[in-house]
Amino acid sequence: MQLADKSIDQTCAHVASKKPACSRPTPGATTGGCAFEGAQIALFPYADAAHLVHGPLTCLGASWETRETKTSVEGRDFTQMGFTTGMELNDVIFGGEPRLAKAIAYIVEAYAPEAVFVYTTCVSALVGDDVNATCKEAALTHGIPVVPVHAPGFVGSKNLGSRLGAMDVLKNLIGTKEPQFSTPYDINLIGEYNVTGDMWQYTALLEELGIRVLSTLSGDGRVAKIRTAHRAKLNVIVCAKSLNAVCERMEKEYGIPYISVSFYGKRDTSDALLQIAHALGDEALMERTKALVAREEALVEAKLLPFKTKLTGKKAVLNTGGNKSWSIASALQDLGVEVVGTSVRKATEEDKEKARKYLGENGVLMENPGAEQANLIKERGAHLLLAGGRSLYTAIKQRVAFVDVNQEKKVSYGAYNGLVNLAHDVIKAIENPVFDVVGRRAPWEQ
Amino acid sequence: MGAIMQTKPLHVNPLKLSQPMGATLAFLGVDGCMPLMHGAQGCASFTKVFFTRHFQDPIAIQTTAVTDITAVLDGGAKGIAEAVENITKKVNPALIGLFTTGLTETKGDDIKGAASGLSLPVVYVNTPDYEGALESGWALSVSAMITQLTTPTAQIQKGKVALLPHVGMSALELERLKECIASFGLSVVALPDISLSLDGHLGEKQTALSSGGTTVEEIKELGTCEAVITVGASMEGCAKALRAKNPAITPLHVSHLGGLVATDSFIAMLMSLSGNAPTPTLKRWRARLQDALLDTHEMVGGKNVALIGEPDEIVGYGALLQEAGAKLACVIGATSSTNLESLGGVVGDFEDLEHRMEGIDVVIGNFHAKAIAKRFGVPLVVRGFPSWGTVGGALNHSVLYEGGAQSLFRVANVCEKDH
Repeated sequence: MQLADKSIDQTCAHVASKKPACSRPTPGATTGGCAFEGAQIALFPYADAAHLVHGPLTCLGASWETRETKTSVEGRDFTQMGFTTGMELNDVIFGGEPRLAKAIAYIVEAYAPEAVFVYTTCVSALVGDDVNATCKEAALTHGIPVVPVHAPGFVGSKNLGSRLGAMDVLKNLIGTKEPQFSTPYDINLIGEYNVTGDMWQYTALLEELGIRVLSTLSGDGRVAKIRTAHRAKLNVIVCAKSLNAVCERMEKEYGIPYISVSFYGKRDTSDALLQIAHALGDEALMERTKALVAREEALVEAKLLPFKTKLTGKKAVLNTGGNKSWSIASALQDLGVEVVGTSVRKATEEDKEKARKYLGENGVLMENPGAEQANLIKERGAHLLLAGGRSLYTAIKQRVAFVDVNQEKKVSYGAYNGLVNLAHDVIKAIENPVFDVVGRRAPWEQ
Repeated sequence: MGAIMQTKPLHVNPLKLSQPMGATLAFLGVDGCMPLMHGAQGCASFTKVFFTRHFQDPIAIQTTAVTDITAVLDGGAKGIAEAVENITKKVNPALIGLFTTGLTETKGDDIKGAASGLSLPVVYVNTPDYEGALESGWALSVSAMITQLTTPTAQIQKGKVALLPHVGMSALELERLKECIASFGLSVVALPDISLSLDGHLGEKQTALSSGGTTVEEIKELGTCEAVITVGASMEGCAKALRAKNPAITPLHVSHLGGLVATDSFIAMLMSLSGNAPTPTLKRWRARLQDALLDTHEMVGGKNVALIGEPDEIVGYGALLQEAGAKLACVIGATSSTNLESLGGVVGDFEDLEHRMEGIDVVIGNFHAKAIAKRFGVPLVVRGFPSWGTVGGALNHSVLYEGGAQSLFRVANVCEKDH
């Protein structure tokens, strides 16, 4: 286990506050994902690397092929495949290293990935398999990076796992290769996983501005590119605040400054582009960006006009995690929707401040959305609930319209074009008669 | 267990699901139950999300949230007690279904001891995920419920039947099976009974516990049954647990209920048990299945079918399709079983399926078979866990005469479509 040296990086933005947001899970009152899931979310989008989960069947058996993280990798998309050693009783008793070594060899032989990521899990960590040594040896034997990822579920939350996974990438891959050339406008996108192709909604705009995405962690990512990430001029954290620590470390080690942005909604997308241009510190680039933002805003406003006339005055409750608790709220407000409440259960203190800013005095910040959202919908007369798949049935049972804004969503809501998709889906949900129909009383209840 | 075991050092695109997941489902078939998974929070979270997407219904489950500290420092009793205390702050469960994971088995927690210190009714069961699979996790939980809850007795209630279904039966299949048994004048208690709790109905309000299912009282009284019917190879051992409570109970076993032949034997069994004749409706459905076999034999007959899933679930489907003349060209099971063996199947994963797709005309398997079916351009019938992206899984029906007919039509229609 390589956790000790990482503990210094477990600082969060909320560390100064009295209430720790990364507190230990409570037995009998916890439904969130674990550190392994966090590592999975953070690193699986490298579609040219095989992701081997070293543990019993539950960890991967229940979770492969679940995330719609798009890739432009040609050939086999390893993100949509599941590799696991599927540890059995013998491995628990005698140790799982031999099986792990054979599994890596099998993958290299059969699928020729650019790299293999090996994820420890609770059981392989507890029995003390020396995953580092096995990976090191495999890397030498097979001549490709074999990266041990130490984020077994029991060490903590999803957020922590994302950070631990990213730290392992930093330690094992970043800085191990030089880019063919550098430009003054090279950036890394950190914490953008390209779910439903969100990233592609704005990368064309960056390109048009002359900004090059040198590497990503890890949406539509490539192993070869992340190895060159140390040569970027700027790190842009797109989502997960959990990766702040990685950017802090890269600033220390490689002198790369970082900024935090959101590409949800019109205001935030424009703001993100301007922040990137500003951080790259080039007057001409700033002017180009301002012009591009003005053009794109006008375009999207024209597209949104018919939607906005229908949406103005509608009320929504939002139950999602992390920065989405404010970023999607902002996107909805761009559409004329009033956001009466948002969940801040999984948000950092910084996220909460932003959520308060966007929602204003009357907006409710739900600390326990599972229990609160149904009442909030009733009290405020909300017309729709936007949440993850798990809340779908809360919405149906409350007879309000529902839009899935988490990873199970099928289309992108990112950047300017994504906002049009969001408007379309919200309208479709609100106008659907199904919620009235299922709410009818039965003939025997009249 | 003669089916060839997987010899690879890994699973590539795994088919197998774990024992704790099977235990979760079994406890969800008990009314007012809270499944409590003793492990790290992720095990329960993955399982919850998995089944929520599969059933498209809220799934009750809690976790003891073992951490790296508690994994090493304590025996689990404290976390279990704390979990139960926190659960009962919000809800009042009729039963806590306490089961282990690989993590808590590796650290060697004594859940029996922990359970005995609790005031609520608790059933505990050891379900490490490095052993067994979905079917065994379900079956072990059923045995544990009987062993720990059912009252020993020597009394027999004439005409009362215990039905112990395997994990792969849909809510509608179980409901139809209960109706079929009841139509012979028998009273039937199914354990577990997901036909009431996971059937996709719209409840009055969202509850944090399972709603519907076998009641704890019914489980306690299960010893008074005249006979116990087990369905599926994985369930055969569960009858032993019940007969330990009352050796006078007659064990009746069917390995599956797919197709005309197996259903005929089952009906003959019920006729002999009850002394009653089948209802006109049942007879009518038999005639319809006969007709369906003839109507579909040209579309289904001669087709090379690939069948992949839990052995007890696929065996009935395989038998049904074979009756219409289909060839089971590739059969892959998640775990070893006499049922898998009877189909000539092997234990494997989706990579094994991919390597055997040559000449396959139709694939029958879960959500993960979609990518392969698409790549090879063959039609797919989605069934099994998980069925993400398809709806109505709880109301799929492929057993007995009626389900057989409906299922044949479904496969035939899929085969006829352009793909």
